[in-house]
Amino acid sequence: MATLIEDQLRARAKALLAEGTVDVVVGYRQGSNPLRVVPFVARTPAETERLVWNVVCVPNLAGTLLKHAGRRVGVTLKGCDVRSVVQLISQRQLERGRLHIIGVTCRGMADPEQLAAIAEGPVSDLIEDGNELLLNVGAELSRHPQDALRLAKCTTCTCQTPELYDDLLGEAPPAAIVADRLAGVRALEALDAPGRLAFWSEQLSKCTLCYACQAICPLCYCKQCPLTLQRDDPRKQAREQTTVFSYHMMRASHLAGRCTGCDECERVCPEDIPLSLICRKIEQDGSSR
Amino acid sequence: MSEPFEPKILGMLCSWCAYAGADTAGVSRAQYPPNIRIVRVMCSGRIDPLFIARAFENGADGVLVAGCHSGDCHYISGNEYAKDRITSFGNLLDFFGIDQRRLKLAWVSASEGARFAAVVAEMTEELRALGPLRLKV
Repeated sequence: MATLIEDQLRARAKALLAEGTVDVVVGYRQGSNPLRVVPFVARTPAETERLVWNVVCVPNLAGTLLKHAGRRVGVTLKGCDVRSVVQLISQRQLERGRLHIIGVTCRGMADPEQLAAIAEGPVSDLIEDGNELLLNVGAELSRHPQDALRLAKCTTCTCQTPELYDDLLGEAPPAAIVADRLAGVRALEALDAPGRLAFWSEQLSKCTLCYACQAICPLCYCKQCPLTLQRDDPRKQAREQTTVFSYHMMRASHLAGRCTGCDECERVCPEDIPLSLICRKIEQDGSSR
Repeated sequence: MSEPFEPKILGMLCSWCAYAGADTAGVSRAQYPPNIRIVRVMCSGRIDPLFIARAFENGADGVLVAGCHSGDCHYISGNEYAKDRITSFGNLLDFFGIDQRRLKLAWVSASEGARFAAVVAEMTEELRALGPLRLKV
């Protein structure tokens, strides 16, 4: 079901491609089920019909954008994604002049994992109705309040309206009650040192060094990475816990000052390691100086 | 009876002050524990926290980073960068539950041989008390 924003988005993308302002438009298309979207690049005006905008447009397109650096790109971005793009522009990885940003105001995205968990069976449709989400499972509609299904990072969001855009779609959302970004870090710091070590040992023992956190990160743009030079020795990596510890410490600390807190690393982690905690700790450390 | 624990310390010393300080310690025959292995770097600002992480990964129980006193840096401000970087990495170690005393930052000038010996002796004692670094699960 097309929403109002989705229609506006398709119309704008179509116009941009038709008038030749941009070469491609980066957005989302429907994924393998209604709870999933995947990044999509529309190259012709006709292809813009496949663009979608809904409450599960979670992936950060800034990383996808980086792959198209050098071309004239139109892109649909939420407030948090715009932050990553602003950072990429300031790091000279993207050219502002070659970007056309279609900003979309955001009231918080829903967590696809949670949606899948509460739906008993395959979801055939996901409908937004005010503050509620309607899940269509086997021709039966169930209503769920959207606030309870909010993505963790959206509960601490301070950028519902993008800070940089060429076009802005959607209405200004009501100011949300913003939770403490660093609450998780403080809770962990309240433990004693052996407690913290035990926490991280347990979490990081799940890590298989798949490097998904690094691959997805929009601000991890170095062509060569000192952290992956040992990739050719996977046995060493998988068995030694110290390697996993130092990988995660270094991944986060090399991003110090660049990380915009989009939490993509945590989202893609197949083992659900709370990687955002490490990023928040570094953020806390940087802001206290 | 098992042998007493002897910590391994990796020292990363700046070429202009701390390394020369270590040299002074040797020349003046100051006694300090043989637990430290020294790597010379051109400036303490050169030290990426990755070096420290790799040192711990490869069996060091402690890492000593030493450079010029504030204002004495051969490259004007390298030691100021080192101070921020190493302190921040120490906080991160602490966040992971690794004792911050395993990473020591010291300022040693070229003439302070005795001070260098004292720093190494003090750190060795501390690490002996802490025991080996175990991250195995």
